[in-house]
Amino acid sequence: MSPALRADHVSFAYGPTPALVDVSFALAPGDRVALLGRNGAGKSTLVKLVTGLLRPGAGSVWVDDWDTRDRAPEALARRVGSVFQHADQQLFARTLWDDVSFGPRALGLAPSEVARRVARALATLDLAGLAREHPYDLPPAFRKLAALAGALALEPVLLVLDEPTAGLDRALRARVARALGERSAEGVALLVVTHDLTFAAETLERGLVLDRGRLACDEPLLTLLAADDRLAPLGLAPPPVAALSAALLLPGRPIRAADAAHTLARVAASRVGP
Amino acid sequence: MTRLALEHVSFWYPATAAPALADVSLAVADGEVVALVGHVGAGASTLLLVAGDLAPRVLGGRLEGRVTCAGTATGAGRRGIVLPTPWTQLSGMASTVWDEVAFGPANLGWPKDEITRQVERALERLEITPLRARDPATLSGGELQRVIVAGILAMDPVLLLCDEPTAELDPAGARAVWRLLHATAREGRAVLVATSDLDAAAEVVDRVVWLEGGRVAGAGTRSLLAADAMCAAGLGTTVAGVWRAAGLAAPYPATLAEAVQRWG
Repeated sequence: MSPALRADHVSFAYGPTPALVDVSFALAPGDRVALLGRNGAGKSTLVKLVTGLLRPGAGSVWVDDWDTRDRAPEALARRVGSVFQHADQQLFARTLWDDVSFGPRALGLAPSEVARRVARALATLDLAGLAREHPYDLPPAFRKLAALAGALALEPVLLVLDEPTAGLDRALRARVARALGERSAEGVALLVVTHDLTFAAETLERGLVLDRGRLACDEPLLTLLAADDRLAPLGLAPPPVAALSAALLLPGRPIRAADAAHTLARVAASRVGP
Repeated sequence: MTRLALEHVSFWYPATAAPALADVSLAVADGEVVALVGHVGAGASTLLLVAGDLAPRVLGGRLEGRVTCAGTATGAGRRGIVLPTPWTQLSGMASTVWDEVAFGPANLGWPKDEITRQVERALERLEITPLRARDPATLSGGELQRVIVAGILAMDPVLLLCDEPTAELDPAGARAVWRLLHATAREGRAVLVATSDLDAAAEVVDRVVWLEGGRVAGAGTRSLLAADAMCAAGLGTTVAGVWRAAGLAAPYPATLAEAVQRWG
């Protein structure tokens, strides 16, 4: 089986300023990957290369067995669903339903298939009740969820999301996490740019870290987020649960809240003694 | 001194029947940082627009109750507001970050050396001095967010209103902004900040106002972010949430330092 996404020695520069330098990695179907790094590290540039909005200066980006260089962004959309950083600004239709159905309709799918996909995407994000609302009557956070629903409705092999939780509260972040978990279990690969390391720890498995355009790390989040000494030079800080686990010396250094609570309860009980 | 006061304020956006704010009263004094927390749609952004005299004056709608700044309706001293969408707040008139940050002060008609002093200081405080010659249009989301905050700060407002000022920032940038909000308050300004970064808020702010459905659901010191009711509503800090989920006794620690102390 070919990888859902493969970057092969990719470099890119904006004029004389290099943004990505010799970046290589691959995502298998169902992989859940966080793309991390400082502001300006090259994350959004990589997203634009994967979605076909930019072409690599050197190297190549493959989505399944397609070289992105050979496809226009709208053709790539058959395989790549993407949500941009300011996704709440990119809706344009009169109702949420029309907006979410734009992608599947543009793919030329039968109306019944369009309806099925849209209904499913809206239901996954608990947006079904808002389907007839005008997007701009809703708070930006809901428009952001709607943009994600639009990407889900493409039923792509790869979802590329740029800061999907910015501006969302915890309840809405949980909706996003659930939707992504569902789709990745079905084999959709996830590439998520985020500064929200709590969300990354709870939802994703693996971390790619860009540092001044170079790929500095590609490893499980469980080890990466527990390694304080390596995080700081990359412009990252351990998320609160990882910091708590470290500070209390919790066994196994859990990075997810439920795991930390479980371990904390166990250690507290053992302290009290029989 | 009380800088900002809302007394029984209700607000309706144009052509809507349900109020976005309902009977809200709160006060922010000089020298303190107050956090507005709540779920999406709870009214925090609207409250900042009202406090910043943008609603209803600019956005329309209807207001009941009284909003005063330093005791007067028109407000004494400058109010600065940082919107949650930094790219909509660019002047569009500047080709460098330095000029962008200077845009506000220049429009206040200040002498040149005062503008220079304020701009240099704001760039330094946001840790963006290296970006001074960059074109704002080429900045990343996080860089832009800091430029906007710098531009507001350079106007030396006495009341600083911020809507999710760290949403697009990496951890280092977010820490810089939180440090700045704290420091700027201690210099005598009043700071009101809507945030969903509850963990950072618990480290920095003096008081917390919890909004729910346009109403004040609770208010208190930052330890409110570890209260059982706030944790149950999904608005407690991560540390408090883990403590509670572990079944350990209340009161829960709000911050890492408190957890370490409690754990012994």
